[in-house]
Amino acid sequence: MRIVAVDPTSCVACRNCEYACAFKQTGDFDTKDSNIRVNFYPEERVCIPWTCVHCGEGWCMEICPAGAILRNPETGAVEIDANHCAGCKMCLLACPSGSIHFDKVQLVSKKCDLCGGDPACVKFCTSGALQFVEEDEAYSFRRESFDTKLKALFGLSKRGS
Amino acid sequence: MSERKVVQTLCRMCDDRCAINVYLEDGKIVDIDGYKDHPWNRGRLCVKARAAVDMVYHTERLLKPLKRTKTGFEEIPLQQALDEIAEKMLAIKEKHGARSLSIWKGEAIGFAQEEEMARRFVHALGSPNYFSNDSMCYNGRYFGYRLVEGAWPVPDYENSLCVVLWGANPPHAHPNMTQMIMRARKAGAKMIVVDPRMSAIARQADLHATLKPGTDGALALGLIQQLIETQGFDREFVEGYTVGFAALAEYVKAFSPERVEKETGVAAAIVREMARAMAAAAPRVAVYVGNGPEHHENGINNIRAVACLDAILGALDREGGNRLAEGFKANHLTLYDEIPLKHLGPIGADRFPVLYGFRQECHTMTAMNTILSGEPYPLRAMILTAANPAMTNPNTLKVREALESLDLFVVRDLFMTETAELADYVLPAASFLERVELHTHAKYQRVTITHKILSYPDVQDEYQFWHDLAHRLGIGEYFPWEDENELTRWILESAGISLELAAAHPEGLEYAPIRYQKWEKEPFNTPSGKVEFSSQYLKDLGYPALPEYKPPAYLESPDPDYPYVLITGARKLIYYHSRFRNIKRFRTAIPGPEVELHPENAAALGVADGDRIRITSRIGNVEVPVKIMSASEILPGTLQVTHGWKEANVNLLTHDDRFDPISGFPLMKAVEVRLEKVCI
Repeated sequence: MRIVAVDPTSCVACRNCEYACAFKQTGDFDTKDSNIRVNFYPEERVCIPWTCVHCGEGWCMEICPAGAILRNPETGAVEIDANHCAGCKMCLLACPSGSIHFDKVQLVSKKCDLCGGDPACVKFCTSGALQFVEEDEAYSFRRESFDTKLKALFGLSKRGS
Repeated sequence: MSERKVVQTLCRMCDDRCAINVYLEDGKIVDIDGYKDHPWNRGRLCVKARAAVDMVYHTERLLKPLKRTKTGFEEIPLQQALDEIAEKMLAIKEKHGARSLSIWKGEAIGFAQEEEMARRFVHALGSPNYFSNDSMCYNGRYFGYRLVEGAWPVPDYENSLCVVLWGANPPHAHPNMTQMIMRARKAGAKMIVVDPRMSAIARQADLHATLKPGTDGALALGLIQQLIETQGFDREFVEGYTVGFAALAEYVKAFSPERVEKETGVAAAIVREMARAMAAAAPRVAVYVGNGPEHHENGINNIRAVACLDAILGALDREGGNRLAEGFKANHLTLYDEIPLKHLGPIGADRFPVLYGFRQECHTMTAMNTILSGEPYPLRAMILTAANPAMTNPNTLKVREALESLDLFVVRDLFMTETAELADYVLPAASFLERVELHTHAKYQRVTITHKILSYPDVQDEYQFWHDLAHRLGIGEYFPWEDENELTRWILESAGISLELAAAHPEGLEYAPIRYQKWEKEPFNTPSGKVEFSSQYLKDLGYPALPEYKPPAYLESPDPDYPYVLITGARKLIYYHSRFRNIKRFRTAIPGPEVELHPENAAALGVADGDRIRITSRIGNVEVPVKIMSASEILPGTLQVTHGWKEANVNLLTHDDRFDPISGFPLMKAVEVRLEKVCI
């Protein structure tokens, strides 16, 4: 399956993803409605975008007493069925990354559903910090950036020589 | 079953012009997302693009011509509006001469051929007075680089090993540039950001030089000094392809890192580190200068000093450096060779000869004085297409007074702006989804055509408007094309591209292959044919030949009555100058104006987030709610207010009488102010 991979070293906390997601949920730009959240820590100059990674064994799915959290067989996304959600908030507690929030108007839990396989947050990410990729390739950029450092360390690049 | 259709075109919510898919159901636009096959944005977009759906169908859209009457605006038929406007223009021309007529081409309808049409029209009328927002955006950087390198180059981000963003904040101002920069970083490039604020892009900077506003030149000269002293410069390029190196090398000797620290506030160690990082990456150093350094009294020489770095590093027109893009060789609409009008005294050309000399453009701030004084001649009529100077030009009160006093003021716009409210006639203008236009992306040297996807009965596209008015004014021969399609066909003719071929390539057509190091065979577009560290052209006009540094006034002669320094005009992602304040969800995201303030200054003033302060300059005052920044996000004593808010228009404070002497750009990013808490 494909997931939304995040790269905190490319994110500039511009909030395009939060606006795009909030718009998809409610038609408005209140970032509290977004299923992806970007935290910016000015003193440390750190930007962290984060959303659900659709865990193999979703603790939210396991704990949901209403059985309202199910995996979409087509996209692999872990989805909340608002019609069955009892609003007990157990899933909020269970999620280790805080990727579920509570909708105070509809009184149900809300989370990323990968927009049915074409996530808006990625389409509207202008830095490229968000990529919609196969989960086994999701963090290959870490290896590439490590390779870049090794190349510099050992002076391996033959470009331009 | 409704019919669903998709059309590929370019977004023009800002000047990035990203490729988009426009989805239609039964002829109505229902959605917009990114078009993946255009190399420019690769399917990614900012959230402004989708809001074009809301903009084109907005309930406040102007859809009928309006005429000012004693009781307010009244709708009139389009043909009557054009007849009356033409009649009044002819009467003013008869009474005051052709040069009393003018055009102001606005940002909201874009540049490209829209600009050339406006230039053609006013010239055909016999007036040299073409104005635009370029009097205070873009031209400054264009001049700085053109004077040194013969053109403003395009950063070759993806091949770069060191990206320098100088007074530029792409995530908010040019969103699509962000992904290019981040691709460079992923491939190992260092990123240096020069900005008094921790802008969005500075959040990822490897080095962030927080310089005092307006001191850019000192930092650039200091970097040149370091690069020369440490032999980190490209001797072969400098000796073979530049003029004035000896004089520049002599001049920069005074700019040691310690002196730079004193002038700019950037620590000497950071200056050395910046120079080292640039030298290590050279020639793969890509430098992009934003709007930050433009709005200062020594702006152009500061930018020239930054431009000199390209040549010092040997990065000019090299892979991974700053590439001199080749233009699209098509037919042009301008009439400067056919009908030279310089002898008629274009407004501002005497005081700012470079502005008219390089851009055949007149000076908007001088225009306000001319309208009010009638000196050196009457300027009595203006057609303004989708600009909003009543919000965006400095010294708002004077702008309003001047525009209101015109004998004929015609505004074309999508919405009733603060400027349109002052007009005698307001005509509805077409959005970018309602007209055909050619766009070039210099970075990829591609030309892309945009499409008319919808239309309203009384809303003319730009060409139709100029065409219909020209034919009423006796200059119809200059507008012979039946419609914008025929015009576009003619523009493409000399490039050997048919309209149909352009339309078949939504990913754009490459008009010239990307080449580097063209200087090996071709001269630079400067008087000497070389890179000019020293400019005889400027010297002959009475300016310093070298990019000399002058400290900003607030540092050189501080005014105790105005102890703070105000930066204006830092862009926000979702707003584009004064536009889009009427998109409801944008207001949810950023509801109103705010003044960005350092926590120490907020504490001294005794204000909390959301409290109002009164900001006073020698021009005027305005009250703005406070946003207290983190201590690392803005320099103490420095504040920032974004322009374009009717609720707190920062241009009530800005100077229209203090300019960069070369470009005529106004001082807008180092305005001396005092602050008081507003007690309720």
